[in-house]
Order: sequence, then structure tokens, then C-alpha cells
Amino acid sequence: MKQSEKFRQANKEALATCIATLLVIAFWWVAGFGLADCKVMLFSTPLWVWTGCVGTWIFTCLVVWLLIKFVFQDFSLEDGEVPHE
Amino acid sequence: MSSIFCLLPVLIFLVFLLAVSLKIQHDSAKDRANNFVRDYFIGGRTLGGFVLAMTTAATYSSVSTFVGGPGMAWVIGYGWLYMAMVQVVVIFLVLGVFGKKIALVAHKIDAVTVIDVLRARYHSNLLANFAALVTVAFFCATMVAQFVGAAKLFEAVTGYSYVTGLTMFGVIVVLYTTVGGFKGVAVTDAFCAIAMVVGVCLLFGCMMSAGGGYTKIMTDMATYHPDMLEPFSAGKMPMSLYISQWLLVGICTLSLPQSVVRGISYKNTKALHNAMLIGTIVIGLMTLVATSIGVFAKGILTQELSVYGTIDNITPRTIVECMGPFWAGVCIIGPVAATISTVSSLLLTASGSIVKDVYLNICQERGKTIANDKIKRLSLMGTIIIGFAVYFIAIAPPSVIWKINMFAFGGLETAFFWVLVFGLFWQGANKTGALFAMFGGVLIYCVSMALKFKVLDLHQIVLGIGGSLILFLVGNALGKKPDEKTLRLFFPEMFD
Repeated sequence: MKQSEKFRQANKEALATCIATLLVIAFWWVAGFGLADCKVMLFSTPLWVWTGCVGTWIFTCLVVWLLIKFVFQDFSLEDGEVPHE
Repeated sequence: MSSIFCLLPVLIFLVFLLAVSLKIQHDSAKDRANNFVRDYFIGGRTLGGFVLAMTTAATYSSVSTFVGGPGMAWVIGYGWLYMAMVQVVVIFLVLGVFGKKIALVAHKIDAVTVIDVLRARYHSNLLANFAALVTVAFFCATMVAQFVGAAKLFEAVTGYSYVTGLTMFGVIVVLYTTVGGFKGVAVTDAFCAIAMVVGVCLLFGCMMSAGGGYTKIMTDMATYHPDMLEPFSAGKMPMSLYISQWLLVGICTLSLPQSVVRGISYKNTKALHNAMLIGTIVIGLMTLVATSIGVFAKGILTQELSVYGTIDNITPRTIVECMGPFWAGVCIIGPVAATISTVSSLLLTASGSIVKDVYLNICQERGKTIANDKIKRLSLMGTIIIGFAVYFIAIAPPSVIWKINMFAFGGLETAFFWVLVFGLFWQGANKTGALFAMFGGVLIYCVSMALKFKVLDLHQIVLGIGGSLILFLVGNALGKKPDEKTLRLFFPEMFD
């Protein structure tokens, strides 16, 4: 990979990370506040606690796994090519 | 319950860390003889995924993960746990956004600190020196606060005096950071992260049996404290607090220099990717278990808060109520590990700021070359002097330390946030904008904190980050565009 392509890829990954963060926030909001009025109890604990806390954790791990699997790419960090002068 | 069984597990753990650090020093003698600065401050860029994940997570989790957090959860209930979960983003966010780009740049210019990168981007000694000053001042206050928190917890659980505990882990952490350098800090951090997970899980288990089982604790809570089962906790957890925390302990932690520097330290991109996943799993688990301990402690410490004193007494009281001296001694390794892993990273970054960012830079500008041996002496001395200064201050901390500490977390975020984000991702960002953002942001943040001035009841971080952004844009319009050489270094994609 050329140096300029590595930088483009790094920019893309940074953007994807920001989008992933927004997804996590959206999930956290819906799974917690969204289900707060639901009276269902699971193992004597309200459902929103399970989805908003444990669920957010699992969801985040899943999102990060997708990120590193499909968006992030491996490349050498050394500058393989002398930049054009 | 002042018994030797209480003391022994922590002592063994600390001596083990010291041994690990000495071994690392021994093993990296050759690299250090070659290029001391690179090996000592950044570990020669050799971290693998697991150690990178653990050191980032351990640096982030501090004594408040074990004391302040659970204490608040005991008062508020599940709302506090729900709020604490925002921390699940902190590891992948900093590594994902900055990790690759800062590593690419750092490899080109042989940077070992975040300030090195800022200096190369903005070419401003004023900015670099101010950044170093902010880092050292805020880090020292944070280190003192960490020491004090852990020593108080230690005293409350083991019965040994405050100074005994402080001396035990204070002296050892300073020593192992000094000899081990970055690699020593990273590897000991990994052990600390494991100890934290073990500590919280152990306490969790013992607490369940001491409280009469999970179902009983929960049924009692639903009967006597139904508000603890609501996210807003009957008004005790307003929406503005949720939003503030998302910014203060979630998104804005992106720019904390002690986290960003980890983006320079890893071996290859695979290590970075793995660290993002492992780090997220670990920080999420730790936050979940440690904070919910506070919620469940309601089933064990059933009286009013005034009976126990402050919320900081909740965790130690819970440990004492649920465990015998030996297991309490094992369990307390967790919070001690959280403290020393934070202190070790801050200490090394602070001494790096003074030695590398300020002193070596002045020498370089005057055209003096400093021998590797002299750099080595200075770096070791810098680390040990700052470390012991912090230790002595922590024995009887003056009240000004608490004031600085209150400003530290958000102040660091404000100082570095836009300067780093724009510096690495916006070609147009220039020196004037960065200077405006850093000075102005810190000033706005500290003044609004001191005056307790809030907008829409949101934490002052909103004012700091917002003000810093506006100032950056204003300053940027006044300044000159960055030169082509800098742009080629940071944005080679523009020229291709």
C-alpha cells in the first residue's frame, strides 16, 4: 500500500469509528430509556437494566468486531515509499 | 481487622510487579543503550494486542472505578450503572480514531510523545510547552488524588494506617515505573487489569452470599427502594447528568494524552485491531461488575448514608462486611492495581513531558546533542523525583490539590481535544487556531468550573469544548496556512 493510501484508509477508519460510536449511543438510548417504562422483570431485575447495561456492552463488542473485521485493514506502519518531492 | 493476612496478598502482588519491571529493564538493556528515549518512553513500539488493550483499559480505570462509582450506585441505583456504561466506548474510540494516523506520523518523525506530534504539526514551542505544563500539573494532581483514595480504602479495609498503605504501594509504583519505563508500565498494567477483574468478581461472589442471595437483594430493593430500579431514580439522575457524563467520561476522553500516546506504542496494525476488541470487552466487564457491586451493596449496608459517613466508605464497608481478612486482602489488590496502573502511566508521561518535550527540545534548538547516557540519567531522575514528590504530597495533601484535581480530567480533555482532532484530520488547521483553542479552552473551562457556572445544567466540559472549538475557528481564520512540508507529512493523500 502506498503511503497516501494508508492515510486515506486511516481517515476512513477514523470516520467509521465515529459512526460506530453514534450507533452505540443510539442503542444505549433505545435499550435503556426506551424500555424504562416496560414493566417486564427478568431475574427480579427490570428489563431495561439488562438491555441498557449488559446489552449495550454486548452490542458494543459486536460493533467493534464488525469494524475490525470489515472496515479496518492491515498495513505496515513503516513508510515503504519515499513521498514525492 | 489489622492482621498480617490482610497485608500479605497486596505486598506479594506489588513485589511481583517490581520483579516483572526489573526483568523488563534487564531484557531491554541493549535497546536502551541504542536509543534510550524511544525504548523508555514508548517501549520501542513493540506492544502486542493483549498488552495494548490491558494497559489502555488499566490506565483508564482508576480508584474511582472501585470507590466513587460503586458509592454513587449505592445511592442512586441502576441509573448510575446505566450512566457508567458510557465508558464502554472509551477504548475503541481513542484507538480507532487516532491509533493508525498518529502511528503513521510518529513512525515518520520518530515521535515518542503526543506533544512531539503536536510540535511537528503546528511548529509552536509555546503550544508544546504549554501542553507540557498542563499535562504535568494536571497529572500530578490526579496522581495525588489517586494515592489518597487508595490509601484511605486500604486503611479502612486492612486496619493498617494510611501512611503504611501509601508507602507500600506509593514507593513500589514509583520504583517500578522508573526502572521499567513504558514497557514495564504496559506489562504491569496488564497484570493490574487482570487483578482488577479478579478482585471485582471475587467481591461480587462474596457479596451475593452475604446479602442472602441475588433474589432476596433484588426483592428487598423493589420493596424498600423502588426508585433504584428507574433510570432517573426519582429525579436523582436528571437527563442533563446523562448527557454531561457521555461527554466528560465518554466521548471527550478521546483526547486524554495518556491514552493517545498508546497509539504510538503498538507493534503492528493487527495488535491495534485486537486491542480495540479486547479492551472493549474488558472495560465493559469491569464497569458492569464494579458498579453493580455498589447497587447490590444496598442489600448489605441497609442503613442511611449518615451511618457510614461518605459514599467513599461504601466499598470498604462492603468488603469488610462480606469477607474474612485474607480474602479482603486479596480483594483489595483490585483497587490498588487500578490506582497504581493509572499512576504509573501518568508518572511516565509527566516525566516524558519534562525531559523529552521541554528539556531535550531546548538542547536541540541550541544545537547541543546530548549523549544517550546523559538522557538516560535525566529520564530516570525525572521519573523518580516527580514520583516521590507526589508521594510526599499525598502524605498530607494541601487543599489546593483537590481544586486542581477537580479541573484535571476535563481540563486535559479541553486542552487537547480540538488541537488533536483538527491537527490530524483537518489540513487547514493552523498554529494560531491551535493556540487559541488550547489557551482559551482551558481558561474557559477552569473559570466556569471555579464559578460553578453551567449552561442548561450541563457539566462545564460543554462550555470548555464548545468555547475551544469556536476559538479554534476564529484563530484559524486569523492565522497563516500550514506549510507544504508539514502537509506532506500529515496529509500525503492531498498530493496524490
